[in-house]
Amino acid sequence: MNDLIKKLVEAYGPSGFEDNVRELIRPEIEPFADELLVDALGNLIAHKKGDGSGLKVMIAAHMDEIGVMVSHITKEGFLRFTNIGGVYPHTLLGNRVQFADGTIGVIGSDRITERGAVHPLEKHFIDVGAASRETCPVNVGDAAGFLRPFLAQGTRLSAKSMDDRIGCVIAIETLKRLSETPHEVYFVFSVQEEVGCRGAQVAANRLDPDVGIALDVTTTGDVPEARPMAVDLGKGPAIKVKDSGMIAHVGLVKIMRQRAEEANLPFQMEVLEAGTTDARSIQISNGGTAAGCISIPCRYVHSQSETVDANDVENSVNLLVEILSKPIVL
Amino acid sequence: MDSFELLKTLTETAGPSGYEQEIASVVKEAWAPYVDSFSIDRVGNLMAVKEGRGDPPRPRILLAAHMDEIALMVSQIDQHEGNGFLRISRVGGVDKRHLYGQLVVVHGQRQLNGILGCLPGSMLPKERSSLPFDFEDLVVDVGLPIEEVEELVSIGDFVSFRQPLRKLQGRRVAGKALDNRASIASVAYCLEYLTQRAHDWDVVAVATAQEETALLGAFTSAHSQRPDLAIAIDVTFGKGPGATDPGTFELGDGPVLDLGPNVHPGMLQALRDAAAALEMGIGIGTHARASGTDAHGLQVAREGIPTGLISIPLRYMHTMVESVDLADVERSGRLMGEFIARLDGEFVANLTAGMMEDGE
Repeated sequence: MNDLIKKLVEAYGPSGFEDNVRELIRPEIEPFADELLVDALGNLIAHKKGDGSGLKVMIAAHMDEIGVMVSHITKEGFLRFTNIGGVYPHTLLGNRVQFADGTIGVIGSDRITERGAVHPLEKHFIDVGAASRETCPVNVGDAAGFLRPFLAQGTRLSAKSMDDRIGCVIAIETLKRLSETPHEVYFVFSVQEEVGCRGAQVAANRLDPDVGIALDVTTTGDVPEARPMAVDLGKGPAIKVKDSGMIAHVGLVKIMRQRAEEANLPFQMEVLEAGTTDARSIQISNGGTAAGCISIPCRYVHSQSETVDANDVENSVNLLVEILSKPIVL
Repeated sequence: MDSFELLKTLTETAGPSGYEQEIASVVKEAWAPYVDSFSIDRVGNLMAVKEGRGDPPRPRILLAAHMDEIALMVSQIDQHEGNGFLRISRVGGVDKRHLYGQLVVVHGQRQLNGILGCLPGSMLPKERSSLPFDFEDLVVDVGLPIEEVEELVSIGDFVSFRQPLRKLQGRRVAGKALDNRASIASVAYCLEYLTQRAHDWDVVAVATAQEETALLGAFTSAHSQRPDLAIAIDVTFGKGPGATDPGTFELGDGPVLDLGPNVHPGMLQALRDAAAALEMGIGIGTHARASGTDAHGLQVAREGIPTGLISIPLRYMHTMVESVDLADVERSGRLMGEFIARLDGEFVANLTAGMMEDGE
């Protein structure tokens, strides 16, 4: 699986600019899907047919990643920028970004007068090596993603955009391994999650599913001075009960938990204080959807070294295959 | 209908956002004498239909009162010298200043009575002793050793507050979850009123789910029920010491009708007309952006739904001593009932026509 993970996490795909990621995912799923569709916002939707006895289930993993967008170019050729999604200022200085055409920039900042202080985002700039506004190869409105090679150390996997390419990998693997299902399963590789779960919202409107399950990362409580949280890296997929955007469907949570227990898969229960996922958009769509989320424990979320454990990834696939292979009675 | 007894049952029943099964069955019992049918949808909204007298297809109005309440959730299980303690997270906008010492129920394998404990002020470092307790200071203690706690309780279990409804003086009552069970009771009064008054329109009364966390029930029920009009009913800030600005309302002075972007001005006018017909005093509230109530979710469903907002004044919102005046609960119900009884086949067309004339 690491080859696929590497391919996806190193790809360029800030919110609204997911085309590259979509074109990498499409050939992976094409042989296994009964139907493929790309909608007007750019969601890639793969339908796996059921035997007619089950429910309509939407699985959502988002293709987009956080990034930056150029807002102004100084006459000296430096790029001021705004954030796409939740970019923390303290992850910026010294980092590298890449634009759609391959142009690479390094991030500098206005002079720091107080050692240890972090400048706000607007006091940073991107240097692409241009000498002036006229010779700058980048335009206002161009988006960039962070640049960072994939790193595997034992079972620990680090990369930028593990949020949520790892969810995409889990969806792809599940589709590959799901031989038979009673359900009409729609795997949605969604766009624009980081800016308000917009892709999943319109995909859910189109599909009107009975059940929605997002695959996304969650934070952990297992690093020094972390906010207390009962989710650790490597202890299994986390079954979401609550985050700051939704309360998961209690019946669905119960089923997810039951499937994990029956199959002897490790799992954790997730109560997340801040953040939300595509599951929120699915839940509130149409006349309401029973929604939940399988979360992949992840350290350093929204940094360039988001870190997950390969066993959690594997067990997330196993859990999702279990859930989709069996009837869902809500 | 004895409004104290009704509210006592409604408020003392647990119904955290996302965990509304128990309160839904109590609401169903309260509304059952006045309606023709019930259904429950995929996200837990309880929907009751009271049919109008016209030939079908009849226009329909949706009344949304949320039945969920703020609550807590188990976020971690800790042990100390063999005793089990639960750390908690909030469900909805819990005011953390009042948590220490509250009584709770943990909804685990079975219901466990517990309390919210913490170090007493005298044992805290001086700089902390006068500060409100925060979530990391608080534990739920159910009085069991760690082994039994781990057997009975899981991370993600809901924790609801346990507080009886009390009579204050006059017609004032105080308790938990009057936000928004006061409105659930008010809808019962409305439905009862409509057993005495003929009405052409169908009424879809919805006890909405997960309002406190996402306005979920308003968005979804308005989508599935496709009403022609909608009214949200919720609580608003009551006047009291420190709460005297124009956005606060005297308890007992009647329901508050809102004006603002979530409300159709024609709906406000028609509600005012209904209040005048009943010679009922009302307050006028305003919201400059989203109202923060189900009215927002209702208004933007489908092609857009002309929506009204009725509020019951309440003091000490999101605490265990929320206080209302029973007269306001009953009057809000009568007002909705009168409004609905006065609806005719032309109402929606007239709303639109009025807007066109204004534009000319």
